[in-house]
Amino acid sequence: MERVRTALEGCRFEQRSTSDGIPAFGVSREDLHEVLQRLRDRADFVAVTFVTAVDRYPSEPRFELHHQLFSLIHEDRVRVTTELSEKDAKAASCVDLWPGAAFMERECYDMFGIRFEGHENLRRLLMPEEYGHHPLRKDFPHAGIEPDRLYRKWDRERRKNWDPSRAGGAK
Amino acid sequence: MGSLTPVETTSDGNFISTRLDALINWGRKNSLWPMPMGLSCCGIELMAMIGPKFDIARFGAEAARFSPRQSDLMIVAGTLTWKMAQAARLIYDQMPEPKWVIAMGVCSSSGGMYDSYAVVQGVDSILPVDIYVPGCPPRPDSVIDAILKLQKKIERESPTKKFFSGEAFVDERGSQALLYQPNAAVKRSSLDLSPHDPRTGSKNAPEPAKQDG
Ligand code: SF4
Repeated sequence: MERVRTALEGCRFEQRSTSDGIPAFGVSREDLHEVLQRLRDRADFVAVTFVTAVDRYPSEPRFELHHQLFSLIHEDRVRVTTELSEKDAKAASCVDLWPGAAFMERECYDMFGIRFEGHENLRRLLMPEEYGHHPLRKDFPHAGIEPDRLYRKWDRERRKNWDPSRAGGAK
Repeated sequence: MGSLTPVETTSDGNFISTRLDALINWGRKNSLWPMPMGLSCCGIELMAMIGPKFDIARFGAEAARFSPRQSDLMIVAGTLTWKMAQAARLIYDQMPEPKWVIAMGVCSSSGGMYDSYAVVQGVDSILPVDIYVPGCPPRPDSVIDAILKLQKKIERESPTKKFFSGEAFVDERGSQALLYQPNAAVKRSSLDLSPHDPRTGSKNAPEPAKQDG
């Protein structure tokens, strides 16, 4: 795509092949934020469709972080891929570019354990907050790790603190 | 009139005498107010069941209440996740006695096809279930059948025995419910707080609670 190439003038990137025909570019982690900003400002990619990751366990670098962007004017998409190693699964947050990416980054953090630097509210989105695992990693067991542990803990504490003189007692 | 078999009828037929148990059960079973816990796709069938085509008003159960304080039948319709389990348990606890639970669909009966880290493998691990309805989703007729079966079950209960033996506020199915008791003065030690295991059916029979006041 000519538009993207002009926008990324001077950045390091490699073209990747995709089976669905959407142009994809691999960039390094350091360049990620710069590339996303240029795509938004110079190539009209005003919307982010998704921020997600792929776990290539056990190969290293383990994670591929994908940002798919959408241009409302030109009606086309582009995908930016960043490879992250397992030990250092961090990337720059793009919430300052697209505020709507906040939830997607939270989900990505919840499911893969990838931390986004600059995200102000990087808490778990779907799993309970104290949960210690990341379910979409390939080495996570299918049936989960003690899925009921947090509920049981909550239940025990609720019963311990139960005051029978309070009607209903629910809290 | 179902279970309300008259023991004695006068010749002019103006009043009947019957057992108090039968009268209470007759009232309870014909005015089940469901708490529709519609959690996913089964919830749609639940709505069809309440709607005019299947019409559970025929069995006195059409008054779906979204406040747990006003309902006595919780229909868990759908996939219960562990994160939702706390909310479901709180809602159950807030329902006043007597209360019953129907597990609608394979998801709530056993976890169904979701053998996963997020899904409760059967709501009976957190709630005492009375009737299980198979199907994915069950047809509304099956759930109506479950309600009829529940009515049969209610007929066999003995509310007065529970009341006069001082156990009126203790859930006899071994549920750890935090019961709704205005001005409650039930001693904590008299309540059965041990978990109920529905698979083995074991439960610790609660000691009769003293009702002072
Ligand atoms: S039993 Fe089937 S229809 Fe019902 S909630 Fe589960 S998946 Fe959906």
